[in-house]
This record gives sequence, structure tokens and C-alpha cells, in this order.
Amino acid sequence: MLFEIDGLPVYFPYDRIYPEQYAYMCSLKQTLDAQGHGVLEMPSGTGKTVSLLSLIVSYQQFYPEKRKLIYCSRTVPEIEKALAELKRLIEYRKSCGLKESILGLGLTSRRNMCLHPSVSKEKKGKVVDARCRNLTAAWVREAAQSGQDIETCSFYEQLENSEIRDEVADAIYTLDDIKEIGKAKNMCPYYMARRMLSYANVVIYSYHYMLDPKIADLISKEMSKESIVVFDEAHNIDNVCIESLSLDIMRPTLESSSKSIAHLSERIEAMKQQGSEKLKDEYEKLVQGLQDTLHAREEDLIMANPALPEDMLHEAVPGNIRKAEHFVAFLKRFNEYLKTRLRVLNVTAETPSSFLRHLKEITYIEKKPLQFCAERLTILIRTLELNNVDELQSLQKVAALATLVATYDKGFMLVLEPYESENATVPNPILRFACLDASIAIKPVFDRFSSVIITSGTLSPLDMYPKILDFKATVMESYPMTLTRNCFLPMVITRGSDQVAISSKFEVRNDPAVVRNFGNILIEFGKVVPDGIVAFFPSYLYMESIIAMWHEMGILTEAWKSKLIFVETPDAAETSIALDNYRRACENGRGAILLAVARGKVSEGIDFDHHYGRAVVMFGIPYQYTESRILKARLEFLRDEHRVRENDFLTFDALRHAAQCLGRVLRGKTDYGLMVFADRRYARQDKRSKLPKWINQYITDTSVNLSTDMGIAIAKKFLRSMAQPLETQAQLGVSLWTLEDVLARQRAQKEKLERAAAQGSVHQQHFLQYGAADAQRLAQDRATGAAYMDVN
Amino acid sequence: MGKHTEQREQKAEATTFMATNGRRQVEKDDDDFVDVDDSSLQTNQANYAWEEEYKRSWDVLQEDEHGSLAGVVNSLQKAAKRKRQLRDTDPIQRGIIRHLFILIDLSNAMQEKDLRPSRLSLTFTYLEAFIAEYFDQNPISQIGLIGTKDGLAEKLTELSGNPTDHIKALKMKKFMETGGEPSLQNALELARNSLIHVPAHGSREILVIMGSLTTTDPGNIHDTIARLMQDNIRASVIALAAEVQVLKFLSTQTKGTFGVAMNEGHYRDLLFEVIPPTAITTTKASANLVQMGFPARCNDSAATLCACHGKLTLGGYKCPQCGSKLCDIPTECDICNLTLVSSPLLARSYHHLFPVENFVEVPWKDAAMTTACFSCQKTFLSPHKVSVQLQSTTDAGRYQCKLCEKTFCTDCDVFIHDVLHNCPGCLSQPRRRAGGVIA
Repeated sequence: MLFEIDGLPVYFPYDRIYPEQYAYMCSLKQTLDAQGHGVLEMPSGTGKTVSLLSLIVSYQQFYPEKRKLIYCSRTVPEIEKALAELKRLIEYRKSCGLKESILGLGLTSRRNMCLHPSVSKEKKGKVVDARCRNLTAAWVREAAQSGQDIETCSFYEQLENSEIRDEVADAIYTLDDIKEIGKAKNMCPYYMARRMLSYANVVIYSYHYMLDPKIADLISKEMSKESIVVFDEAHNIDNVCIESLSLDIMRPTLESSSKSIAHLSERIEAMKQQGSEKLKDEYEKLVQGLQDTLHAREEDLIMANPALPEDMLHEAVPGNIRKAEHFVAFLKRFNEYLKTRLRVLNVTAETPSSFLRHLKEITYIEKKPLQFCAERLTILIRTLELNNVDELQSLQKVAALATLVATYDKGFMLVLEPYESENATVPNPILRFACLDASIAIKPVFDRFSSVIITSGTLSPLDMYPKILDFKATVMESYPMTLTRNCFLPMVITRGSDQVAISSKFEVRNDPAVVRNFGNILIEFGKVVPDGIVAFFPSYLYMESIIAMWHEMGILTEAWKSKLIFVETPDAAETSIALDNYRRACENGRGAILLAVARGKVSEGIDFDHHYGRAVVMFGIPYQYTESRILKARLEFLRDEHRVRENDFLTFDALRHAAQCLGRVLRGKTDYGLMVFADRRYARQDKRSKLPKWINQYITDTSVNLSTDMGIAIAKKFLRSMAQPLETQAQLGVSLWTLEDVLARQRAQKEKLERAAAQGSVHQQHFLQYGAADAQRLAQDRATGAAYMDVN
Repeated sequence: MGKHTEQREQKAEATTFMATNGRRQVEKDDDDFVDVDDSSLQTNQANYAWEEEYKRSWDVLQEDEHGSLAGVVNSLQKAAKRKRQLRDTDPIQRGIIRHLFILIDLSNAMQEKDLRPSRLSLTFTYLEAFIAEYFDQNPISQIGLIGTKDGLAEKLTELSGNPTDHIKALKMKKFMETGGEPSLQNALELARNSLIHVPAHGSREILVIMGSLTTTDPGNIHDTIARLMQDNIRASVIALAAEVQVLKFLSTQTKGTFGVAMNEGHYRDLLFEVIPPTAITTTKASANLVQMGFPARCNDSAATLCACHGKLTLGGYKCPQCGSKLCDIPTECDICNLTLVSSPLLARSYHHLFPVENFVEVPWKDAAMTTACFSCQKTFLSPHKVSVQLQSTTDAGRYQCKLCEKTFCTDCDVFIHDVLHNCPGCLSQPRRRAGGVIA
């Protein structure tokens, strides 16, 4: 359908639109108009991706600036889904008679795209990357061209010899499409996609290409400033940011980096004896410093790299590491220092500055050269024309640590843990260099791009993200879900049938009465819920202890009578087998329960739609392990820097995970499912208010403080009424709009706004929209309820 | 005062019949309720949040200006009566020779008491009524019963056209025992094995009544479902607890219907929806001539052995082909396998092919045109006696045949469509086929 939002014609590739999709597009347009950042929360399964794409593409094509869209998603399947939607959208636009050329494409790792006969057989992404580099690096190709017998990649050569812009027409290319073209033209699809990125209208790729400083530097730094950046499924974005700047250093890392250092110095010796000019050239260049980069950044051509801060660019590389052999010696010293640190047998936590002080006392290494470590290493590797870069990974890690520790004295912490777990007796020390501030990694993105949209199904409370990521949002909006029937039923079970309060609170979590009541919830729901049930626990540790106790109490035997039971484990292969069998049991009517962990693989990215998850039970509140030193440090940091109270952040974090888990059950409006919060603490307002609006909206007072038996009674009724046939006709106008509905809504809104303006008070637009929709839905509910009054 | 008590009684009546909706209400003592003032009830509501969940369905009822609920109650009852009435009346090809297997879940889940008195006994009560009605409407069709428990399936009765056999079987105590879990696959296979031998002119149907949420199967049930599709067997499902994926899949794949019973009344409706024969969708144009015998009733002076049960009986029917005596028709002759029916039975099945068209509801504004029901001569409520406000919530209670334009009351409407299958108005007009298709 085609409709206008404030004068912008929007092409939407479906005949019907959900009201929340329309509202979402309106807010999106506001954000883009204001050239600001936005935080938008929209329920899962309501067509977020398609509304996003159709509005932004319409926006992009309508205005002369043709702002580029960079859409970042989390996993490869999600990227593929988005690309398929985009393709559909563009086809629709074409069928509407629009003559425009839009180039859209997705990018993923070499492992998924490689065509080289032997390299593509490799299983590990890192190995593929390294082997690819060995075949395509500039010096390898030069050597090959000069007649030496060195293997190169024919696909890459073909690409180098042709001009892509002429070869590939403007269209939408999914990952498979690019591979097909690559095959047809004998060109490397990965590099082809990377070259096309710079002039594509729509780019869809993973977060890491934007947030991870190492990768972003290669791929995203040349994206134009006007681009619109979207982070989808962004509820975990702060953790991604933190992980991209955190490092773990263990003994094997240091051993391997020592080896690499030795290898480097050998190469340098060899090169010297050959009398090569290269080392000298390098030295000359270093004296000049990193001026080029500075110029580029000043002219706003490239995105900043958080690992290469501004002030460093103004200076030349310090004298003591300019010479290759000096630098290698320097690295060696630093590496040895780290080794001695790892020998310590008690836990220590320190700030970067105290680490530097200690470093200086022992090894006389100054802060300045450390800062340049990573950059200098890259230059050295290039000069030495080294192959097998993957072997140098550990060394690069050490160098990155050196740079980061010397650059930031705030927002990072070093924790040294001599034992892996509390009970371990054999020391296996880890030096964790933990990033505490999520805003460091994402700062360049916010600085560079004028519109950054953060969106997901679970972002509540919305004001938390601007705080922890340190940006100002022009639009922050959460959309309720309009439904013809209440197709999910959230309920809070606070006590068992014996009235014992249940909670995963530390003091009571192993109390047999609580464990038994958790078990009873599982048994009872197993009896009344058809097909699949997914149950989430706060942690693996807790799940294991509970399952052991259930086994002793005979609860598992009881639950087995109605359903099969599968358990998620930290092992990915094991879990995927369990998931497979779980799905089979749901399909053939046997029914199954899947026990999973709130922060595990199952809770993110795996959908339990329809019969795969008719109910999801959240046992307890998935708080993080609060005794962790890194978490404590992060909380402290948040309190000091962003004025976020520890408790607020912990609850926020726990509830976004809980909401994420419970959201798994509902993927679309024809689906239905139960959401059970099994913990006394969910009944409290401070917890509930942090749940997404679309879930909160359906938590009624009647379902907030239930005992198990009451919950079961409600669940039975719910499942019966949801099984009644649903007609699309009933949804029309309420939770599904046709073009007429959209136009009527726009007219009504306009009138209302005019009236409001006349009265001199401007109401919030959003409220007006939803006031009407809610009332309509209520009326509808009442009508359907009355229709089934039984007269017998 | 007299008026007041009457009002109370009606209120009490309203509660009892509405109470089937939510079980909790049954606990409320009627006497208590009558003594309590409505306004205080309203305040009581706020006591516990969970109480609101159990809807006070009597609040929905609005008294008319005389303080009486009669009008509203009547209209609700009428609405329920007519609900089943409005069915498809297009003259289409329907398979009136049906072979239906009813699979009854006899697992422990059937002991649940969410349907009163229990899922099992309610099922058996309804099935008795169902079987009687089924044979009344489909006289030349057959039924078989299969029960499943403890992972096994067992035939309770063979496929036969004799309702008394089935009803007798349903009354047997040993079939009422439940145990373990059902096996849908075993039961479907058992039904399939009997149904594939059925001649091609008859429909093959399975009705699954399932209380359990799980099934324990020896093999892959999806293979069985594929085989059912191959053999053109239609499986409909009535689930008593919730929507189970495999049951829904079974019914959609085999083009059957799927329903989940909300309550006792809804369960009955779902069950009785199976009674009218379904349309034949296959376009196989084969000559469908079926050999049938029309036996004559015989009354012997001395008792002779019947061919069907081997018992000494006085009366019976004589097979026109082999001359053996059978107790009851419709049936298949045990000796020569001839289908035995009587012409009235055939004629009765005929109405499925040419049903009486649905009558149209007459709105209040046109209600003054007629004063009495054409068939029973009962006088209608005059629209002048009913207030405008009440008119907006109720219907006029008169229904018009589109062909003869005669008007009928609700009861006659139901009677004509359910039992008579002929419109008296059309029949009374010369040279017009009753309720039939007009070319």
C-alpha cells in the first residue's frame, strides 16, 4: 500500500499494516527529520524490520540527499531475513512503477562467502581469514606478479582486474545472490561486497562491523556522515560494546606471543642481512608520524577509532620504538612483565593508572610508547611482509592491551584471577582487561552519524540506554501491541499451592519448599499446556542444583508422565541436539519441556513460536552474578559516571533478559502463549515497571499475585479460548489496518490536532492514536466474550 | 410483593443457567444470592482482584422497564436455538452414505472434571445422543467406535448401521474404564484398516475425541497422517483441553474440522456439527450406482432364527436377494452383503442434498405485518407492546421463508429445519417444490 506520512510517500509492501507499525514509522520519520538519534521499542513479531526498511528506503529515495542506510543486526539468519524483506520491498516499489536504482547488499564473514576451492573448506572463521590474507595480501600479489611461484586466489585477481561498478547492476543482493554472482563472474564475493559497500544505498551487516574497533576500521570508516545507522535487536548492545573492548589474557596467550616476538626478531635480522631498504623507509615514515590519518579524520572522511585516540595522532611515534628491533625488544619486555604478573596467586584488581605505575617501576616502560603499541605492530607486520597473521593473534592481543591500558585511565579495569572458578585448586590465572564503559566503543558511531536508531522488542526502561551509551535521543518511544484477542497471557505466580512464597532470592533459593514449589509449577503446567513448554533459570549453576533436587524429590519422574524433558547445556552441539529433539516432540504430539538458562544460547535468537512454545516459565529473576569483580566495578563506574544506581541497573539488566526470554514465545499476532513469571518479586511495581510496555499492558491486577493452582485455572481457560478459530476479518480495523484505516486515522488525527491547537494545548500525538485503538479493542473483547455466554 | 418474588425467581433462574460458564459460581448458594442486594455485590467485587476474573455473567443481563429479565433470557435462548440453524443450504453434492469411526480417548486425562460431571461421562452421554441423532439424519450410514488407552487402541464396536448396538456398547461398564495414555497413531491405524475396505461410494471419516494433551505412539505419526490423506479419509478432531499441534495438523491435512470445547454446551455443538454430511470435494466422475435391497417386513407366527444375531425372533426383515431374516434395517445382509434400507430412510437422507433454505429474521419494523406463526398459529408478540429500548436488544422472534414468504416462530423454525426438512408454507402452495431449488 502507498500512504503519506507528513508529506512523505511511504511504500509498504503489504496490503495490511499493523497500527503499531504505522506509529513506529511516524516516530522513525521524526527522528530522521530531526537528524537525531532514536530509541524505539516495538513488540517482537509485529514486523519491525519491514516497517523500518520501507520507511527508510522511502525516505532515502524521496529526498535528494539519498542518505545511506546501514542496518546492523545480530546474527547471520537475521541478516538474511532482513535482506529478504528488503528484496521484497524493492520489488514492490518496482511494481508500483518507481524507476529508481537502489543497490542493497549484505556482508558477512569470509567463512560464509569464500569460493576458493580449498580455503572455503576450512571450518573456523579465523583460519579462513588468515588463509585468505595469505593469498590476497598486497606483497604476496606483488611477488606473484614479479614472477615468483606463489599461490594467489584467482577469484581475487579477477576482481582486481575488473571494475565492479560496471560489472554489477544496481539491485538487492542477498548473501546467496552475491555468492552466485561471484561464481558466475569468477570473482571473490567477499571483497566484491566490501567494495560495493562504499556506494551501496542499503547495507546490512553484523554489529561487529560497526562496533568492534579492529573490524570497523577496515570496513565502516568510510561510510558517509549522513548515513542512517540502525541497530536492530539492540537490547544487548551495551554488552557487545563492552566485549569488543575487553581482553582476556592467559598463560598460553603470553607463551604464544613470546614465540611470535622471537619470530619477528628473526625476520628483522634476516631482512637486515638482505640489506633491504624497507626498514629504513618504515623509520622515515614513522618520523613523520600518523599525519595522514590525522588529516583524513580532520577532513571528516573517516570514522574515529576508539583504540586510536585523537591526541595520539598529533604526535610522532616515540623514538624508542621507531626502530624495528627496539620495538621488538620493547614488546618482549612488556610481555615478560605480564608473565610475572600472572604468577601472582591472589586476586588483584587495579585501575589502568596503577597498572602503569607499577609497570614503570619494574620495567621503566613509559605510557607514551605503550599507546602506540598496536599501531606500531601493524606497521611492522606490514613492513616485514609476514604471512600467517593468525599466528600473531596473541601478540596483537598483547599489543592491543598495551594501547588500551595506556590510553584510557577511566572506564577500564584490570582484574587478575589466579583460579578459574572458586573451587578450582590448580591455578589457571587470567588477566582480564575489562571495559566498564559501553559508551567508549559506540561513541565514534554516535559522533559520526547524525541518525542512529536503536531498536528492539525489549528496551525498557527506555531512558537507560541513552544513559549507559552516553548519547542524547531525540525520540524515545515504546509501542503497545494492539491485539484483537489477548493472545498472550502474562501472569505472576508468587506462591505455590501451599501458599509458600517462591523466589530465587539467594537466601531462599535452595529451600526445599521453594524448590518443590518451582517443581510443582513445572508439573502442573506440564499437565495443562499442550506441546512445548520452555522454562528458564537464572543460571546454569542454579539450574543444575535445582534439577538435582527435583530428581531427589521425584518431581522429574512426575513431570515425565506428561512431557519429555530436555536440558540446555553450555555445550553448543549438545544443546542443538536437545533443541532438535524438543522440536520433534512438540511436532508429534508427545509434548516436551525445555529447561534453559536466561543468558544462554536458547534465550537469544531461537524462536519458540506456535506449538514450539505454548508456555514459557521464568523461574526467579535472572540477576547477574553480583559477586563478580568486573560487575562490581562496572556498577561502581555506572554510579559514579552516569548516576545509575546499582540496583536500578541490576534490575534493568535482569528484567531485560527476563523479557527477552518470555518474548521468545510470541512471534506474531496469530501466535499465542502463556508467560509465567515465577517469583514473588515480580509482583512489585519497581520490577514490573521495567518490563516492556507491550508485556506490561497485558499484566492485569488479576494475574499479578497468583498461587500455582489459580494460575493453572486461568491458564486452562486461556488455552481453551485461544484455540477457537480466529478470523482475519475480526482483526481488520483494530489490530490490522487497510489503507482506508490508515487514511481515516490520519484524518482523525489531523482534526484532533487542529482542535487541540485551537484550544492551545498540544497533546501528545501518540496518546491520541492509542486512546481510540484501545477503546475499540476493549469493545471488541467484550463482544467476543458475550458471544460465548453459554445458554444450555 | 408478588411481582417482587417473581423477579427474584427469575434472577435465580438466570444464575443457574449462566453458572455453567464459570465453575466458581456454582458454589454460590442461590438463597444467599437472592438476599444480597446488587449494590453491595458491586462493592464486594473490589475485595480480591482474582475474583474479577470470574465474570458475574448475570451483570450482563439488563432488566427491562418492568424489572423483568424474561425478555432478555428469552432472546438469549432463542439466539442459542437458532445458532445451529444457520448452516450452509447450498444444494451441493454430499456423501450421504457415510462410514464414521469415532475414536474415544480413554486415558486418565478423561477423568478430569473440568467438564461436568467428568470429561469421560459427559462424552459418553453426548455420544449416545449423537449416535441417535446421527442415524436419524443419516439413516443409511454406519458408525464404529474405537477406544484408546494405555498406548493401545481397541475396537468397541465394529462399523455398523445399528444405533442400538453402539448405544449398548457405550453403556457397558468395561468400556468406561480409563488408564494410561492414549495412542493416536494406533487408533488411527485401526480405523484406517477398517475404512479402506469400505466401498468407494461411501465417505470415510474419523472423529477423534481427545482429552489428553499427549499421545504415545509406536512410530512416526506423520506417516500415518500421510496414509490417511492417501486413502481419502477425513479426520475431524474435538479436543477437550487445548489445541495440540498434532491434532490440528491431522485435521487440516485430512480436510477435517478442528475444535476445542470451551464448555459443556460448546462441546455438544462441536460434536453435533459432525452430523450433517460433508460436501464431496473430489471430482471423480464415476457412475455411482449402488446396489440396495428394500426388504419387506415379515411377521412369522413362530419364532425363527435371525441371520444377524442367531437369536429366535418373531418379526424381522427378509433380504430380497438371499431370503435370510434380519432384525433391523438399515444394515448390510450378513449372508449376501447386500445393503438393506427402506425407502423412507432414503428419502430422509435426501434432505441433506436439498435442505430447506435458512429463514430470514424479520426486523421489528416489519414485525407488524404478521400476527401469527404460519405453522403453529401461535400469535406473535406485537411490536407495539415492546419498548423501543428493548427492541434494540432483542429480535422480533419471527422468521420468514424467502420462497413462500410465510412467517414462522422460533420453535417452528427450528423444528422445520431440524426435523421436518420441508417448509409447510411452500408445500401448501400448489406446484412448488418444498424448499427445493428453483431452476
